[in-house]
Amino acid sequence: MTAVTGYWNRLSLASRALLVLVPALLVLGGVATVALALLLPPLLDFLGANLGLVRFIIAATVIIVVTIPTAFVIIYMELKVIARMNLRVGPDRVGPFGAAQSVVHGLKVLSKEDYTPAGVDVSVFTLAPVAVFLTTIMSFLVIPFAPGLVAQDLNIALLYFFAIGGLNVVGLMMAGWASYNKYSLIGALRAAAQAISYEIPLTLSVVGVIILAGTMSTTAIVAQQSGSFLDWNVWKQPLALLVFFIAATAEANRTPLDMTEADQELVAGFATEYSGMRFGFFFFAEYVNVFVVSAIMVVLFFGGWTAPFDWPFPVQLALDPASLGIGLLFLIALAPVLGTVILALPFWLGSSRISTLQALLIGFVLFNVVAVAALLGWAFVSFDWVVGLFWMLAKSYVFVFVFVQMRATFPRVRIDQLMGFAWKWLLPAALLNIFVTAIAVSLVGKG
Amino acid sequence: MPIPDTVPILGISWADALFLALAAVLLGSALLVVTLRDIIRSGLAMVSAFGALAGIYVLLGAPLVAAAQVLVYIGAIAVLILFAVMLTQEKAAPVRLVFQTQAIPAAIAAIVLALIIALSVVATDWGAVGRRIATATDALARLLFGQYVLPFEVVGVLLLAAVIGGVYIAKREDRDA
Repeated sequence: MTAVTGYWNRLSLASRALLVLVPALLVLGGVATVALALLLPPLLDFLGANLGLVRFIIAATVIIVVTIPTAFVIIYMELKVIARMNLRVGPDRVGPFGAAQSVVHGLKVLSKEDYTPAGVDVSVFTLAPVAVFLTTIMSFLVIPFAPGLVAQDLNIALLYFFAIGGLNVVGLMMAGWASYNKYSLIGALRAAAQAISYEIPLTLSVVGVIILAGTMSTTAIVAQQSGSFLDWNVWKQPLALLVFFIAATAEANRTPLDMTEADQELVAGFATEYSGMRFGFFFFAEYVNVFVVSAIMVVLFFGGWTAPFDWPFPVQLALDPASLGIGLLFLIALAPVLGTVILALPFWLGSSRISTLQALLIGFVLFNVVAVAALLGWAFVSFDWVVGLFWMLAKSYVFVFVFVQMRATFPRVRIDQLMGFAWKWLLPAALLNIFVTAIAVSLVGKG
Repeated sequence: MPIPDTVPILGISWADALFLALAAVLLGSALLVVTLRDIIRSGLAMVSAFGALAGIYVLLGAPLVAAAQVLVYIGAIAVLILFAVMLTQEKAAPVRLVFQTQAIPAAIAAIVLALIIALSVVATDWGAVGRRIATATDALARLLFGQYVLPFEVVGVLLLAAVIGGVYIAKREDRDA
């Protein structure tokens, strides 16, 4: 016994960890392998037999997970773009060019005290952010990102989208009323008035697109716009796009139409009494909403996942990775090592001040960049859905950028101007668009 | 191994189980609408009842009706009701609200309505009506704007008249004041 303890005491910390971890890993690995071999076939059978259900659950999970980076990217974009427009530098401390700033923001919100003020209706107060966030996520379900890459291909997708989008305001009203604060209540009342007024032109503006497409399915609408950018609906429905864009700004509560939380009059509107993660959900939902609105605008008017023009130099991969056989294994095993060394060599030879280890590190990082670029290029050439996803996201973020830019450009309007504009200008314009589209379709066909 | 056709242990089909769950939510929140003391909470319970009803429409194979239900009833009507209540309601309102003093007339109305519904359910020949009606959007539109265009237009004129009447009443009060 003493021999064992003596030996143990002489070991360094790292070797002690190794001595414990290696046997544990071996045992666990063995158990895991056996369990996998026993359980995998029935599990695969089970998943295969319920493919529809499994697909839906995975899609819903992916959507919830994807909202996190989406919101982070848009928050960072907003910080940086508005800073640039104000001749500031913006966040530049965390990560390269401050790119991790929104992650830090997220952690900050998580670690803040989640305070419930006196006099609030606690259950409604707590459920409000849930309602807002849930509706935002649910409207994600029908956005087609690429051929086949849509969570649920409903044939009433557009109607579903607007129905769920209209639910958002219920959450805002719950928040404003439950807060027991006059600013919150006014914010909630404004949210309701604004949502009801702008939902009508928003929904009516899309009718022209539906008449042209003959369907409410988002995937079918995108498929009908395939070809070059001349086939996009924006050329046939410019007025609808204008009405939709303005109404969507109001629906997403974005400046200049964010009367629900106009800071100069209402402190923070419906969100005044919220703190911690309950506020975080509102914040999160707002930015996800910006993306959702941009994405649906791209789907309706800018051809969704379709490329704006055919790539003039079609690339054909001469090498099919599967045909390499055992060679592929060698490639996977040797390429990282060789690549690292080859990319490290110029640095090692070029400067005597860079040590071997540093050179290898630089080579490793460079190899990773090259490998990721090569893999992405290969995926872009080989898979339709990667191309579709690329174009869809690229177009969507153009409109996200427009929304962000608008926030820094336009002053906030007044609430009566906002309501008057919806009823006196947007609604007639949307109706006019429907009539003109219907007459044009019945005269010259859908062409 | 697919999921069994019936719910384990209970032995009813999944559609039935879903229907039961939705119906329980619907009836429960409908009860809350009339029993809760807080009028805004009643309104929120009504939203949840409308949502459960939309779920039942989906279950019956009419997603278009379900979407319209959510769009119109929750997105517009319930929000308008909540809006009106919030605009006029004091937070420190009397606990005993006016509408709860009408429990007896409400009960009579509910019983009469239940009788009418029961009569129509019994009197209908479900074998003839029960065959699946095409509920695709275009089929529904053809029916609405073809066979039933006259009732549709009459309803439209009725709603327009109601809007004009509402505006007239609002403006008249404005002038008197």
